[in-house]
Amino acid sequence: MVRLDLTGMNSRNANKKLKVLIQTEDEIEVVGTHSIHNFATALIGKSKITAHGSTGFYTGGFLEGPTLVIEGNTGWYTGDNMMDGEIIVQMNTGSNAAPSMLGGTIVIKGNSGSRAGWGMKGGNLVVCGNVGRWSGKMTLGGRIIVLGEVGEGIGESMYNGIIHVLDPAVEEKLGGNVMIVPIDDKEKKETELIFKKYGIEQGVDDFMSIVPKVYGRHEYKLYKPTHKKVI
Amino acid sequence: MSKIDKIPKVKDIQRGVWNNETIAEIKYKAEVGKHRIRGCGTPRKFPNFDDLLILPAQLTRMPVDTYREDCKTQTVLGARYAKEPLVIETPVMISGMSYGALSKEAKTALAKATDIVGTSINNGEGGLLPEERDNSYKQVVQITPSRMGFSLRNIEAADAIEIIIGIGAKPGLSGHLMGCKISEEVAKFRQLPPGIDLHSHPRHGDIFGADDLCIKIEELRDITDNRIPIFLKIAAGRVWEDVKIAAKAGVDGIVIDGSEGGTGAAPVIAANNLGIPSLPALVQAVKSLEDMGVKDEMSVILSGGIKDGADLAKALALGADAVALGTGVMVAMGCVVCLKCHEGKCAFGIGTQDPELRKRLDIDLAAQRVANYIQAITIEATILAKAAGKSKLCNLEREDIRSLTLEACAMTGIPLVGTNFTFGDKFGFC
Repeated sequence: MVRLDLTGMNSRNANKKLKVLIQTEDEIEVVGTHSIHNFATALIGKSKITAHGSTGFYTGGFLEGPTLVIEGNTGWYTGDNMMDGEIIVQMNTGSNAAPSMLGGTIVIKGNSGSRAGWGMKGGNLVVCGNVGRWSGKMTLGGRIIVLGEVGEGIGESMYNGIIHVLDPAVEEKLGGNVMIVPIDDKEKKETELIFKKYGIEQGVDDFMSIVPKVYGRHEYKLYKPTHKKVI
Repeated sequence: MSKIDKIPKVKDIQRGVWNNETIAEIKYKAEVGKHRIRGCGTPRKFPNFDDLLILPAQLTRMPVDTYREDCKTQTVLGARYAKEPLVIETPVMISGMSYGALSKEAKTALAKATDIVGTSINNGEGGLLPEERDNSYKQVVQITPSRMGFSLRNIEAADAIEIIIGIGAKPGLSGHLMGCKISEEVAKFRQLPPGIDLHSHPRHGDIFGADDLCIKIEELRDITDNRIPIFLKIAAGRVWEDVKIAAKAGVDGIVIDGSEGGTGAAPVIAANNLGIPSLPALVQAVKSLEDMGVKDEMSVILSGGIKDGADLAKALALGADAVALGTGVMVAMGCVVCLKCHEGKCAFGIGTQDPELRKRLDIDLAAQRVANYIQAITIEATILAKAAGKSKLCNLEREDIRSLTLEACAMTGIPLVGTNFTFGDKFGFC
């Protein structure tokens, strides 16, 4: 194990050092994170990196392989365009977590902001707390699991992918062009495995799944009058 | 029959705005109750580069011999911060057009054309086809809001990156790709269900505003180790402010897409009414960068309505470093600008995913025609530049041009022909 102190260091230098360290070290402890933006950008490898503190925007962007543990909060866009590996945030994230994520797993032990999983393309996003509005909007793939409450417009215009939710009020907050179906056995098993791996104590039987509607076109209402008479 | 009955009727006379197009639009809306989608971009006529003329060298300076002396065309873009700027043999690039809007054959032909003539292609929204990258001379990779087909691998394959904020044909709107073009193959490439009408993201999921753009660009610099240029493309609107934000955010160059720009599909109302034309947009962009004192270090690339060497020469004279062509290179391949790209039945195998129609495009022939076209307009620009006394295309300057119309004079601040008259401080470059 090696320790890296980021105090007084900018993100470019911090990532340069991390890129060197992950070539030889299995575990890297990072201190002095001072909510640094662009932490662990595009790291490729298998090391476990633990940040003892909060990090800023774009934490773990384009990450490919390593396990990133943030013992604090992260800013917006956590795990943007992430390719593979793991990001475990012990507290909360800002909005737009996991945008356009391709693979790997992000686990947020606390809450996330609006638009979590925006345009996700693959991998798993697990939020143990709540998510804000328009989460899972226009996903192209992947799996989002939310244990807490969801915001309005959940899953709006998903193209592919799946969202598992427990929120009993999800139906009234459902986005357009998606529907709620019961979670199937295969998804239950896979979700159970994820929970077991990340120490999440939650059963899977009560989850509902949000999936894209199966018809061939998305529908959008661009005119929403309060009065309408059918002739 | 009476004498008066023999007089031809005036059925073809159109009354002001109530012309055939207006009537067709109203009938369409009355039938379906919503806006119309159409391909190619706006058919409207805007003030353009034809409203400028180039002053030939006579006694104040000497012309360069058209046929026996050189005029250098090699162009370097994105040298502000990038260690390996984009070096192309002509200031004519191929603009971003997606695989999906265009067939694989068309994309491959365009890529091959860049290798023949020594310029760059831009992959557009729908991911980077291996056939495109394998055949292109220089590859610009777009980072689009949807990120369809995008990954770290695309950045690694790029000679330059272009963050796209908007396009001139439908600024403020997202990409539209009609279901007829989302074949099984395109769907797989973009992770979409086949046959769905795609209305893509108008905003980046990881760039919510100018401040975040600064951090995002730093992220991309980190990934690329400052090796390749990062451009940012905006649709021409509030150009003065947008260009300043882009420059401050730290990009190497700015792509200005005027409202003449083409598209595979857009709401007609958007194409016809959103954004401003390329000519005034370019002036405003250049002036904005000059105001910041960074014009010499930032590259300016203009797209939207560029059709020939005169447009190229005039754009360079106004301060562009290069132009990017979309519709022009499609026409070189066979497109007739029928405004039906959105229907996916392109008879020339260009704007279609129909396997039978795609067979109609001879890739190598189309590549050669596009290369010929780019070569020809580059030569045209050198003819004009040499006549203006320039041994390098990039040496064309504002002093070499004059406005043909009062409108162009007011828009550009370039003096009216036959005068040194301009409209004063509030217009153009004055």
